[in-house]
Amino acid sequence: MTDEYEHFEAVVVGAGPGGAAAAATLAEQGVETLVLERGVDAGSKNVSGGLIYAEKSASYTIDSVFDGFREEASERPVSEYYIHNLAGGKVKTLDLSTIHHHDTEWCDAVLRRKMDSWLAERVHEKCSETGGGLLTDVRVNGLLREDGDIVGVTCDEIDPIRADVILAADGVNSELAREAGLMDWDDPDEWFQGVKAVVDMDPDAIDERFGVDPDDGVAHLFSGDLFEGVRGGGFLYTNEDSLSIGTVFHLDSLAERRAEPHELLDALLTHPLLDRWLDGEYEEREYAAKLVPDSKKAANPSPHRGRLLLVGDAAGQMQAQGPIIKGMNHAVTAGGLAAEAFIEARTRGDTDVAGDLYERKLVDEGVMAKLRPRRYRMTRRLSENRLATKVAGCLVDSLLGRTGMKLLDGVVERAFNSPFLLGMVPDTRTSYVTVPRVLGETLGERIEAENDIEPPDLADRIGGLTYDVGDPHIELLDESHEASGTAVTACPVSAEDFGGGCYRSETVERNGDTRQVVSLDTQPCVECGTCAVVADTHWEHPAGGNGVEFRDG
Amino acid sequence: MPEMDPTDHDIAELGPKIKDIDDEAELEEMLALEEGGEGRDPVVTLIEDRLQKVSGDDEGSDPASIDLTESTIADIANMIRGIDDVEVLQDVLEREKEGKNRKGAKSRIEKKIDDLQENDEEAEIEYAPPEERYPELDHPTNDKQYVEGTVDGEYRDMWVYCETQQGALIDVSREMLGKARELMDGYNEAYDESETVVAVLVGDEVADLAEECLAYGADRVVYHEDERLDRFRHKPYTEIFCHMCRDWGPGWRDYHEPRYTLFPATNNGRDLSALVQGELDSGLASDCSGLYIEAADISNPAKTGTPGESRTFERVLHMKRPDFSGFEYSTILCIDKPHRDFHPQGASVIPGSFEIPEADAEAEGEVFEHDTDLPEEWFHIEVTDYDQLEDGVDLAGNEVVVALGRGIGEQPTKGMELGLELVDVFEEADLGLSRGVITASYEFDTHVEEYVTEERQVGESGQVVEPELYIAAGISGAIQHKVGMDESDTIVAINTDPDAEIRDFSDYYIEGDLFEVLPRLTEALKEGELSRVVAGVDDD
Repeated sequence: MTDEYEHFEAVVVGAGPGGAAAAATLAEQGVETLVLERGVDAGSKNVSGGLIYAEKSASYTIDSVFDGFREEASERPVSEYYIHNLAGGKVKTLDLSTIHHHDTEWCDAVLRRKMDSWLAERVHEKCSETGGGLLTDVRVNGLLREDGDIVGVTCDEIDPIRADVILAADGVNSELAREAGLMDWDDPDEWFQGVKAVVDMDPDAIDERFGVDPDDGVAHLFSGDLFEGVRGGGFLYTNEDSLSIGTVFHLDSLAERRAEPHELLDALLTHPLLDRWLDGEYEEREYAAKLVPDSKKAANPSPHRGRLLLVGDAAGQMQAQGPIIKGMNHAVTAGGLAAEAFIEARTRGDTDVAGDLYERKLVDEGVMAKLRPRRYRMTRRLSENRLATKVAGCLVDSLLGRTGMKLLDGVVERAFNSPFLLGMVPDTRTSYVTVPRVLGETLGERIEAENDIEPPDLADRIGGLTYDVGDPHIELLDESHEASGTAVTACPVSAEDFGGGCYRSETVERNGDTRQVVSLDTQPCVECGTCAVVADTHWEHPAGGNGVEFRDG
Repeated sequence: MPEMDPTDHDIAELGPKIKDIDDEAELEEMLALEEGGEGRDPVVTLIEDRLQKVSGDDEGSDPASIDLTESTIADIANMIRGIDDVEVLQDVLEREKEGKNRKGAKSRIEKKIDDLQENDEEAEIEYAPPEERYPELDHPTNDKQYVEGTVDGEYRDMWVYCETQQGALIDVSREMLGKARELMDGYNEAYDESETVVAVLVGDEVADLAEECLAYGADRVVYHEDERLDRFRHKPYTEIFCHMCRDWGPGWRDYHEPRYTLFPATNNGRDLSALVQGELDSGLASDCSGLYIEAADISNPAKTGTPGESRTFERVLHMKRPDFSGFEYSTILCIDKPHRDFHPQGASVIPGSFEIPEADAEAEGEVFEHDTDLPEEWFHIEVTDYDQLEDGVDLAGNEVVVALGRGIGEQPTKGMELGLELVDVFEEADLGLSRGVITASYEFDTHVEEYVTEERQVGESGQVVEPELYIAAGISGAIQHKVGMDESDTIVAINTDPDAEIRDFSDYYIEGDLFEVLPRLTEALKEGELSRVVAGVDDD
C-alpha cells in the first residue's frame, strides 16, 4: 500500500531559517523538495530573542542563501553590544562589541513572523520549480516506516508522504527527533526558557533614546540581582519600530526556584535602568515564550537516523556562550550542509549515506566545535560542581575578590570579550549572578531614574494572543503536585493563584482526603514545551493551523 | 550522344542512375534513343518523369488552369501526386471527362481521390460497441439499458436534490437552490434559453416543503411522499430520483435526462449522488465547493474524436473541488464523447459552500407529485434502529444565564448546586460555565457532574450569549470569557476579589463569596424581593 503514497525526493519539515536554507539549497540543485509547515503562515509559530548572525567562518549564511535578506526581512543591524551588571540600584556597563563582532560579517535584529514568511515565499518559488513547494497548515506527526526503516512522514491533515530524505527542521520540540530517539525532554539542565515582549516604539523615539541612526541599532544585555537569584539574564534589541525585550533562564534554575517567568520579565521591564529607553511609555504588542536548547549539552553530535536528518533547534544546535546567543545562524549552516550532504549522496548514487556525510560536514565545517566547545566540556565538571561553585562564589564575594575586581576593571571587559575565555564560562550562579552582582556593586554607578511603567498582567498577555483552539494537544499524565506542580510556575502562561492559565494548582477533596493536584487547560498554550520537560505530560504540537499564532514572533 | 544509352541498361539499373542526370537535353536524347530502340514503356515513363522534374514543375502546373488536352497521362499522373484537395481533383477529373476523356488519366485521378477519402476515414476513431470489442468480458454495464443509448440525447434543466431532516429542509438544500437559481439565470441569458431549476423532495410528508423550495429559487418542485421513505434508503431513493428525471412524463419533461444535477455532500447525499449518477450513466464530481457554467476548449482526443484537434464544448458545468485536503483545487468537467454522452453533469456540494439566499415568499412555480407505486422489494432492507444525537445545550435562547467560574473551587459540588437553584427560580434560564471550571480537576458528585460539559462553556471557544440578565459568580472575567457574554443587557458579577476584571464590564458588582451570595439571591427572588439583596451592595 505504501507504494501508493506520494513521493518527493526531499521532505523538509518546518519553514524556519534551517528548513528554509535546506529547502532552498536542495531546490537550487534541482532536488524535488516539499516543505511542510504547521503554522497558518511560516513564522506564525516561531519565536526568537531576535538576533541573527552571519559568521565569516560559516559555509552558509542567511543572505548567501537568500538574496536581499537584510533589505527585506530583517530589522535593524546591531552595531553595538553592551552588558549591564546590576546590583542594588547600581549598574556597571561593559562594552562587548569586540566579542559581538568577532567572526561576525553582520548581525541583525529580526522578528520571526516577518522574516520567516519572507523566506517561505522564496522557498515556495524555488521548490515549485522542482515539482515541490511549501504547504502551510500541515502538521507532520510522525515518521512513516517500512520494515522498521524510516521512509517518509505522516501528517495530521494529508496522506503520508514518502521521501528519499527527511530534513526535520521542526524546532526545539521536534516530534520527529523524539520519535527517532535522537532527542529527549528529560533534563531541565539542557534547556533555557526565553520569554519576550515586543514593545511598540516610534522609530524616531528609538533613534533618539538609543542614540542610533535610523538604519542602525543596538543590543543591551542585563544580568545581576534583578532576577531573584535565578540563573540567566535579560536582553533588549532594537527593531525598526519596536523593541524586543526578554529574559532567558536556565530551566533547571527556574524550576528549582519555582520562579514565575512573566514576573522575572516584569522585573527587567520595570527596572529603573530601562527608564532611559522606555521613558514612562509602555505598549506591549506581543508576549511570547520559547524553549532554547543548550547546545553545549543538548546538541546531538550525530543528528541523523536512516533517512532522517535533524537541522537547527531540532538537533539542539543553539549556541549560548555566556552573553552571546547564536541559534538561527547555525540552523542556516546546518540546513545548507544537510542539503549539500544529500545532493552529494545522490550524485554518488547512494542517498542512504546522506546522514553520515552530514555528520562529517558539521565537524569539518567547524559547526560542531562551536556548538560543543571542548574547553567547556573540560572545565564543566570542575566548575559546576556545587562545592566549587560555592567556594568560587565566596571568593568573588570576599573582600579579596572585590578588590581584585576593582583592580581588574578593564581587564574584566577584555575577559568577557575573549571568545576563548567565554567558551569556558560555566553555567553556575557564579557566572550569571555573583560576578555581575559584585561587578555592579563594586564598580557600578548609581541609577537615579525611576521606572513606573506597568506591564500588562498575565491575563491580558494571554488575551492579546491569537489562538485557534483545537483539541487539547498536551495530556497531563500525572496530575499530582509532586510530578507536575512545577509546570504551574515554570509555564510562561501559568502562575500560582491564577486561574486563567494552562496549569493551575487545585486542592481537591477525595474520599475525605485533601490533595494538591494540577489541572491543565491547553487553550492559552504558547507551545514552548516547558511543561514537557518539567512535568509529566504527553506533549504534541497542535494540528496544522491550530494553536497560538504569533504576529511578531 | 548522352553519357548513358538507356538501351544498353536494364530498367533496374536505370532507376537509380537517372536520378543523377540533371541535363534536360541529355534526357531528351536518352528518351529519343529509347523510343528509337525497344521503346520499353516503363523506361519511357522513367525518363519522362525525370525530364518533368528537371524541366521544373512550375511550368503550367497549376492544376486548376492547366490545359489537360495538352498533357500526357504521365503529366497528369505527376501533377496530381502533389494534390491533396479532393475538390481540386474532382475539378481536374471533370475537365478530363469533358476533354480527351482518357481512361488511364481518369483512373489515376479517381484512385487519388479514393486514397484521400480513405485516409480521412482512417483518422476517425473506429467505433465498436464494448460487447464487440471485449467479447470475453461479462460486461458490467450490460444490465443498464441506457449505456449505449445516450448518444446525442436531449438534456435540459438543473435538478437539485433537496435533503430534509425531521421534516425540514437542511441548510445545504437552501444553499444549492440559491446557487442553482443564480447559475440557471446566467445560463438562460447567455444561451437565450428558458431552462429551469427543478427541486426534488423525497420522504414522508415532504409536500409542505415545496413552497419553501420555490421561495429559495426553484421553478418546479417534484416530490414523492410515502411513509416508508421517512428515513433515507438507498434503493427506493435512487429509483425514485432516476424515474422522476428520466422515465416519468409530465408534459414539461420532454427531454431525455437533466442537463445538470446537484446533490448535498452530506452522508446520505453522497450515497445518493453516486448511485443516481451511476444509474444515469454519467460521472460525478463529489464534494464540490464552487460551480460555474461556461465553454471549455478540449483537445483530449477521447473527447474530440480527432487527435490533434481542439474543440469547444458549450454549456459545461465547471465543478471546483478541494484536493489535497484543500491545499489545491481541481476543476472537474463532465463532457460527452463520441458515441457516448455524459449527462447529467452532476456534483455533490459541500454544505456551507454557498450562501443561503433570501427566501422570496412571492416566488411562484409549479409543484408536481410523483405518484407511482413503489415495489415492496425496494424496501427489503429495513432500518431497524436509529438514534437521535442530543441537541446539545443552547444557552443563547435564555432570558437569564447563571454562569459559574473557578470561584466554586473550594466546594465545587456545592457551588454547582447553588447555581442550579438560582437557575430554577427564573422561567427561562440555564447554567453556563467558564472554561476554567470545565478544564479543572474538580471532583463533582454525580448529580451535578452531568452539567460539567463543554456545551455549557461561555466564551471565545464556547458559546456567545446575550441574555437579558447574566449572573457571573466566581468568574474573574478574562478576555476569552468576556467576548462570550459582554453583549448581555445586564451583567451582575459576584466575586470576592474587588480587582477582578469582570468588575470593569459589569453593571452590578457584588463583592462577596458566592457561597453566601447565591443562596440569598435565590431566596430573595423566590420572595420577589431582589431589591433586598441589591440594597446594601455597591452599585458599580
